[in-house]
Amino acid sequence: MRTALAIARKDLRQRIRDRSAIVVGVIAPVVIAGLMSLAFNGVNNFHFTLGLVELDHGPVAAQLVKALDAPQLRQVITVQDVATPARAASEIRSGVLAAALVIPVGFSAAVTGEHPEPLTTLTSNNATIAGDVATSVAGSFVAQVNADRLAFATAVAAGAPKGDASRLIGIVARLRIPLQAVESPIGAHELKVISYYSPGMAIFFLLFTISYTARSFFVDRSQGMIERMRAAPVRPVEILLGKALSVFVYGVVSLATIGVVTTAAFGADWGAPLPAALLGLALVFSVICLTALVIGIARTQRQAEGIASIIIFGLALLGGDFFFISSAPSTIKHLALLTPNGWAIRGFTDLATIGGGLGTIVEPVVAILVISAVVGAFALSLARRAVTS
Amino acid sequence: MTHVSGNGGTAGTGSPDPSRIPVLDCAGLTKSFGMRLAVDGVGFRIFEGEVYGLLGPNGAGKTTTMKMVCGLLEPDKGTISIAGRQAIGNLEVKALIGYVPQDVALYPDLTAGENLEFLARLYKLGRRTVAARVDEALELTELTDRRNDRLDSFSGGMKRRMNIAAGLLNHPRLLVLDEPTVGVDPQSRHAILERVQAFGREGLAVVYTTHYMEEAERVCDRVGIIDHGHLIAEGTRRELVAQLGEQDRISLSATGDLERLAEACRGVKGVSSAATAESSVHLVAAEGRHLLPAILEAADAAGIAVTSVDVVEPDLEAVFLNLTGTALRE
Repeated sequence: MRTALAIARKDLRQRIRDRSAIVVGVIAPVVIAGLMSLAFNGVNNFHFTLGLVELDHGPVAAQLVKALDAPQLRQVITVQDVATPARAASEIRSGVLAAALVIPVGFSAAVTGEHPEPLTTLTSNNATIAGDVATSVAGSFVAQVNADRLAFATAVAAGAPKGDASRLIGIVARLRIPLQAVESPIGAHELKVISYYSPGMAIFFLLFTISYTARSFFVDRSQGMIERMRAAPVRPVEILLGKALSVFVYGVVSLATIGVVTTAAFGADWGAPLPAALLGLALVFSVICLTALVIGIARTQRQAEGIASIIIFGLALLGGDFFFISSAPSTIKHLALLTPNGWAIRGFTDLATIGGGLGTIVEPVVAILVISAVVGAFALSLARRAVTS
Repeated sequence: MTHVSGNGGTAGTGSPDPSRIPVLDCAGLTKSFGMRLAVDGVGFRIFEGEVYGLLGPNGAGKTTTMKMVCGLLEPDKGTISIAGRQAIGNLEVKALIGYVPQDVALYPDLTAGENLEFLARLYKLGRRTVAARVDEALELTELTDRRNDRLDSFSGGMKRRMNIAAGLLNHPRLLVLDEPTVGVDPQSRHAILERVQAFGREGLAVVYTTHYMEEAERVCDRVGIIDHGHLIAEGTRRELVAQLGEQDRISLSATGDLERLAEACRGVKGVSSAATAESSVHLVAAEGRHLLPAILEAADAAGIAVTSVDVVEPDLEAVFLNLTGTALRE
């Protein structure tokens, strides 16, 4: 163990002396997580300007205008009157408006007539979400009107006197569609972008430890240092253990520093300290096993760098370090569960939203340890051979 | 193998007394890499206070032999004992060996002190002992004032000295020096050779591999000559050279086809060996001085212009040439 500690201490000394280690281990993840947070924060505070071309001026159109002014929509939409559809299209092209809603002439009359006058939304490829929201609002209003028409027609067909039409209209106008789809997140807290990307970026840059350590092993070997260590009374496994210890210390310090900095500077939520720390330790263990795998598979420094790059970017893409895994296709979501970083991100996300203690991270930690054990068992014999060859 | 035995038991004056326990005793060492037989049945013994030279051309099997001795390669066959203890697969025995590899094996981004401290810790020494050994090694290499300087700021000679110092940190009983002067300037080479001789005087058993005949002659008490994985002769310089009898070594410098010149010289009666080396042809011949006219005539007949002739006393180069028919540095 003393020998392994000596090797770890030496590796860490070299790593600290190489300033890029601090850049990759701390500065880059904090900066990129901050930038990601800035870039994606708009998704949580979505707001756009909707052009309204009101050509009808009838009672139904007035209801629609009133609906657009509802308090729930005011958080998302600012309505701006526009004289003509052509003018609205022009302002969408120039970026003044994100989308526009055209209420055609005769829209109110068509509600009781035979020929429908459709509501039209003008949208742009540059603001697809705004277009979707405008179309959805219009569709929702039309659904309500159609429901009213159906209720009126049903009442008349059932024998209600036509002379009571104005009374019936008053009744159906007060009716609202009772069944609605309501979003109800299972977490106690909303997931902030920074709370996703802080661990995401910390894990992504932690994966670079695989490349750095594997490269340093092959540099040691080419410089004759592994041979020199083996000429001393040192077992191959002690050399590997020393390398693993240096990865462990570097990984833990890196994750902890990023956790503290992003929490203090950006308000990221990593969850309760103890479960977050256990999750981090499990993840660092998986990085050690992956490093041993690269050392075991590669024959040269270049091969090690190449294999490590494939593993780092493959894991980061599959595990969801770059994007919200929840919005990924189901195949990617399933593949993410084969990666230790995917489980770790899931664990940190659960800690930030559901909260809770150790119970929240049991499943991710066990999954990470199982993946690590499988990789580690395969890697250890290969890595031992790399030391003695 | 030609084993030349002398009478004495003191290092430097003859072959050692076989009743003493050798620091290194290896026998029948054999190692293959795939189909290539790198070392075949090599065996020798080294005693306390003795500098033993393993002399041979590049690729002769010197480094492979040394790696087996140091436990870096496991022999396919053979035995190794260090200070009477079986060494193969024995981790503890490694603490008795100081290994100085052919290339400088130190961290360029660490200071001299940090390098030595790290390597000393590999021998599981206590903190105070580590500090004392590092001081000692730096003093020995006259680098105490460069203790806090990074290795990448050192000259080649200084790095070589550090490389040797690192092999002494564990106070070994057997010091293995694998071509420690390759690529070193003459001044540093001189200093290293002086130091190696001093190790022997201080009681260390030293194995010194080299392909430089002059170094083997200068620092080694006994020399083993290795070629194509076989130890073909062993003894003190005097014993080995005595094999040649009255033969001289003649060096011919010439312009043109040296191989053709060597072939022409082989045809001269009295020339026992001829081989090319770098820009000259080396001959071993009885009564060399008297054969010079015939040799020059043969060269002339072969159309080769000889530019200089040097007749020297028999030496290890001549022994190697006589035994193998090739020069040490082809």
